[in-house]
Amino acid sequence: MAVHPRRLKRSGLTMPIVTERFINNAWHRGCDFINMDLEDSVPPHLKGAARDLVRESIPVVNKGGADAVCRINHDLMEADLNAVIWPGLMQVNYPKTEYGAEIRRMDEIITQLEAERGIRPGTVEIGANIETAVGVANAYEIAAASARVRDFGGASGYDMSRDLGVEMFVGFDQFVYGKGEVELAARALGIVPRAAPFTPNITGSVSDPDRAFAEADAARRCGFRIGGGLHPNVVEPQNRGFTPSDAELEDAQWVLQEYGKLEHTAETWRQVDTHDVPSGAVPAPLPCAADAPDRYRIIDRYEAARAEELLRWGGQCIERDRQKNAAMARVRAAESENQA
Amino acid sequence: MTILVRRSNLVLPATDAGAIANAWSHNADAVTLDLHGVPAHQLAAARSGLPAAIAQVGQGGADVFVWVNAAAVYADLDAAVGAGLCGVILPGVESAADVTAADDCLTELERQRGIAVGSIELTVALETAAGVWQVREIITTSPRTRRVALDEAALAANLGIVQTPDLDPFVYAKGRICIEATAAGVRPIAFIDPMGRGGQGLSDADKVKIATDARNLGFKGMLCDQPHWVDAINAAFTPAESLVEYYTQVREVFAQALAAGTAAAPFAGRMIDVPVDEWAKDVLAMSAACAARDAAKQAALARLRA
Repeated sequence: MAVHPRRLKRSGLTMPIVTERFINNAWHRGCDFINMDLEDSVPPHLKGAARDLVRESIPVVNKGGADAVCRINHDLMEADLNAVIWPGLMQVNYPKTEYGAEIRRMDEIITQLEAERGIRPGTVEIGANIETAVGVANAYEIAAASARVRDFGGASGYDMSRDLGVEMFVGFDQFVYGKGEVELAARALGIVPRAAPFTPNITGSVSDPDRAFAEADAARRCGFRIGGGLHPNVVEPQNRGFTPSDAELEDAQWVLQEYGKLEHTAETWRQVDTHDVPSGAVPAPLPCAADAPDRYRIIDRYEAARAEELLRWGGQCIERDRQKNAAMARVRAAESENQA
Repeated sequence: MTILVRRSNLVLPATDAGAIANAWSHNADAVTLDLHGVPAHQLAAARSGLPAAIAQVGQGGADVFVWVNAAAVYADLDAAVGAGLCGVILPGVESAADVTAADDCLTELERQRGIAVGSIELTVALETAAGVWQVREIITTSPRTRRVALDEAALAANLGIVQTPDLDPFVYAKGRICIEATAAGVRPIAFIDPMGRGGQGLSDADKVKIATDARNLGFKGMLCDQPHWVDAINAAFTPAESLVEYYTQVREVFAQALAAGTAAAPFAGRMIDVPVDEWAKDVLAMSAACAARDAAKQAALARLRA
C-alpha cells in the first residue's frame, strides 16, 4: 500500500448527518476534520435515510479544507460502508471495535469500494474506536489489523463508562488503565495515539472554550496530537492548544542553536542561564523569572530531539492552516462571485 | 434480564460464634464465612460448624459464601458444600489450573450431595503479580467463576509495598482486573480500606466515598470485614436519589429529541445521545433492582422476627 501523508486532526466536530444546518455550516468552523455521524446521534428510524445523505454531504463539509470523516454504525457496517465510501471521504470511524477480524473485514470492503469508485488505493483510514472492555482487552490485535489504522485510541467516554458501569464525571481517571493499554498498543505499532491526559472535569460541558484549550495544550505537552469535539466553541481553542506558539517555536530554534555549539567539543550537555542570553538575541529563549526553576536550561540531545520534533510538528500545523485558509478563501471568492 | 444486586459482602471468621449469630442483622447482601484466616488448631472445629453457620448467617436473606484455604481446598470444600451455600472464595489463584482443580472438587461434591452441578459459584481472589498478569486465563477457564477480587493487602505483601492512605500503588492492577473481568462477563469486586485502618477515624461519608470510588472504577461490590461498613457500601452501590432524578430527566429529554428527529440533544451543558440514554436505563434499572433486593431482605428479616 502506498505511503500516505499524515493528516492533522487537531480539531474536529462530530455532528448528526440528519441535522442539515449543522452540516451546511460546518465548513467554515476551521476544523481539521468534520465527522458526519450515522451512529449515536441518529435515531433508529432515520438510519437508512441518513446514510444516503453522506455522498452529497462530503463536498459540503470539506470545502473549507477540513477532512471529511464518517462514523458508521457497528451493526450496520457493510451497508453503511457501501453508502459512504466516495471520493473525498478520508476516514471511516468504526464504533465499539472489539476484534481485529472486524477491522480486517472493513479493510476488504473499503479496498473493493475504492477500486470500484476511482479512489486512490489506501486513501480511506479506519478509525477503530475502542469503547468497551473487550476492545481494550484486544487493543493490540485491533490496531495491528489494517494499515488503514493510522491512529488509534479511545477507552473512555460514555460507551466505555456504560460498559464498565461507572459514572462519567467523577473527578478521577476511571479509565486510566484502558487508556494506557490502548496508547501502548498504538505506540508499539508506530501508530499515532489518540488520547489525552486526565484533567478533572465534573461538569461534562461540551462547549467550554477555556477548558478545550487547557485540555488540548496539556494533551500536546504529553505527546498527543489529536482532538475533536461536539460544539463549534471548542474548534479554535483546540487548534490553538495543539499548535506550538511562536514563542515555543523560537525557543526550539534557540535550543538547536545552543546544542550546535556542543559540536566539536568534548561536552555532551551544557547548562545555560537564560538571563545571560543577550536581550534581542534571535531566536530568544522563553523568558523565565529569576526564581523560576527553568531559568537554568539544560541543553542536551534529549532537548534537541524534543525541539526538532516541535519544529517539525509546528511546520505541519502551519502548512495545514495554510491549506485550510486557501480553501476557505476559494469558497468565499466563489460566493462573492455568485452574489455579484 | 435479572440484575444481581450484591453490594456489600461481610466477611466473618468462621470461628467467631458471636459474629455469626449476629450476622443476619447487619443488612449485608452477602456474608462470607472465612476459613482461610483460621488458626490450624481451630480448623477442624470451624469446618464442622459450617453447615449450622451457613444456615444462621443466611437468615436475613444474604447470599452465603465460604472463603477456603488455598492449601486445603478439598477439605474446606468438603466441609462447606451443602444446603444454603451460594459460593466459595478461592484465594491465591495464579493460574487456570488452580481454578480447574477447585472446579473439579466442586463438581464431585455437588454430584455426591445432590446439588445441581455448576450451581456453586467461584470467586477468585488474586494476591500476587502472577495472578494479576494471568487474570484473563484465570477468570475464563470455568463458568463457575462469577467474581474476581484483588486482595490488596496480600498483593502489597507479595510486592513488598508498604501501603499508605495517600498513595494507591494498585491503579494498574485494579484497572486491569476491572477491564478483564468486564470483558469476560465476570464481576470485579473490591476490598474495603486496603490500608488496614479498619475504618478507624473514617466518617460515614468517608466510607461512602471510598466505596463510591470503587464503584466508579468498575467494581460491582465490596468485601468488608467489619459490620459498620455495610450500610456505606450498600449506599454507594445503590444509585443515589439525585442520580435517579437526573437520569429520569435525561430519558425525558432524549425521548423528546427522538420525537423531533434527532438522537442528540443538549441538556445541562452536556450532550445527550444514545449511550447516555442507555446508561440512564441501566441506572434506573439498577435502582429498581436495589429496591427489590432491599425489600426481599426486609421480608426475610420480618419472617425471622415473627
